[in-house]
Amino acid sequence: MFSFDPYSPAVDADPFPYYKYLRDEAPCFWSPEAQMWVLSRYADIVSAGQDWQTYSSASGNLMTELPGRAGATLGSSDPPKHDRLRGLIQHAFMKRNLLALEEPIRAIAQQVFGQLNGAKQFDFKEVSSQFTVKVLMAALGLPMGEEAIVDEQTVRDNAVLMVQSDARTRAKGPEHIAAYNWMQDYASKVIAMRRANPRNDLISNFALAEIDGDRLDDREVLLTTTTLIMAGVESMGGFMMMFAYNLATFGDARRAVVANPALLPDAIEESLRFNTSAQRFRRRLMQDVTIHGQTMKAGDFVCLAYGSGNRDERQYPNPDAYDITRKPRGHLGFGGGVHACLGTAIARLAVKIAFEEFHKVVPEYHRVADQLPWMPSSTFRSPLVLELAV
Amino acid sequence: MANITYIEASGQSTTVNLADGWSLMQGATANGIDGILGECGGSCACATCHCYVDVDRMGELPAASDGELAMLENVAAERRPNSRLACQIKATAALEGLVIHLPEMQE
Repeated sequence: MFSFDPYSPAVDADPFPYYKYLRDEAPCFWSPEAQMWVLSRYADIVSAGQDWQTYSSASGNLMTELPGRAGATLGSSDPPKHDRLRGLIQHAFMKRNLLALEEPIRAIAQQVFGQLNGAKQFDFKEVSSQFTVKVLMAALGLPMGEEAIVDEQTVRDNAVLMVQSDARTRAKGPEHIAAYNWMQDYASKVIAMRRANPRNDLISNFALAEIDGDRLDDREVLLTTTTLIMAGVESMGGFMMMFAYNLATFGDARRAVVANPALLPDAIEESLRFNTSAQRFRRRLMQDVTIHGQTMKAGDFVCLAYGSGNRDERQYPNPDAYDITRKPRGHLGFGGGVHACLGTAIARLAVKIAFEEFHKVVPEYHRVADQLPWMPSSTFRSPLVLELAV
Repeated sequence: MANITYIEASGQSTTVNLADGWSLMQGATANGIDGILGECGGSCACATCHCYVDVDRMGELPAASDGELAMLENVAAERRPNSRLACQIKATAALEGLVIHLPEMQE
């Protein structure tokens, strides 16, 4: 009998055959292992993502939620609270306000990928993680250089651990909770620094923001900052791993973007569709919903399988082909609706610059291993290691 | 469900049958209408789904929120009294037959 267990290592490694069965045979499926419903068709996911009154995020949006987080962050709250938090932050992430970051990001990319000069074989994670942490620190205004209070690799390691889950217990393990606590502690130190000596950066502005005369409560500031660091480091790093994985796997696509870097944005969009790192998020029903002959009850959790909607042949013809000429409009690689990713513009910009600079140093590469170790996570999907050879 | 007609700056007209609750931005991006970008995914954060609503029917739409009005200041093409962001307008049966015009540029 068919089962879909988002905690299973087999799903971590290759969820796509499961998704196809779900879309075709069980488009509204109850997973006993996950204790939630799974929606897998593009149209159903768009509809649910748009209807926040029915599909609430206020009980948490991560498939395996972190303790105390639900309700205090952008991703885990509903309007109007969500809109009030978002209004404080989104200005900094708008495309036109990121222009000033373009040169610093390029300098980071040149420094990080320059290290690969002459390398014959390397783990792409080593460079992508250095790059993402440095970019995020620059973008958020985290203490760097002489001001730094932790080393960059520790930030990366904890961001990656806190999004993972344990395949056996189907819950967060002590190591994941410890990483989450570490990140909260780090965020609280940064917030205290910026409150004591505010600068013109995102966290200073956020930590001191008042809405209608009310300051945000400390838990909202702390957990939203924690989530921005987690999302910035883990999601962008995970996506870069998936993009490198695709270009290393599909040689024609890689040769095309190396020969003509103007094709990188299209290749990035197709990667977001083809196998985005943010595979699944969850919602909780505020009322009964009947769909595809099943009745889901108020209070039930529902998984929105973005990674499946992106492979839905009802929306994208020949969905299992990685085709950089596709221009996959409306893909769910950043989610959709009010909770669509806050960092779309900076992610697109940073990944484009990273691969422009990476390809100047390493234009030709392929995967060393056929089988990869995949991150154990019910929400995100990316390889833990990606050995590439030139 | 509602039939929504998108008219691009080139004159190209496309009518889409939109499920209740889908935004006009999602209806465009899911149906290959190029005049709407929707770069932020529909969270009222990028101003690249700018559209001009049929003036006669402006009054039938729920009013723009403060967030949408603020974001409309960032549109690339001319802002007019009937300018809206397509990601903030959800399809309902009441919008049947609505026509929206798309600007020449979104960014």
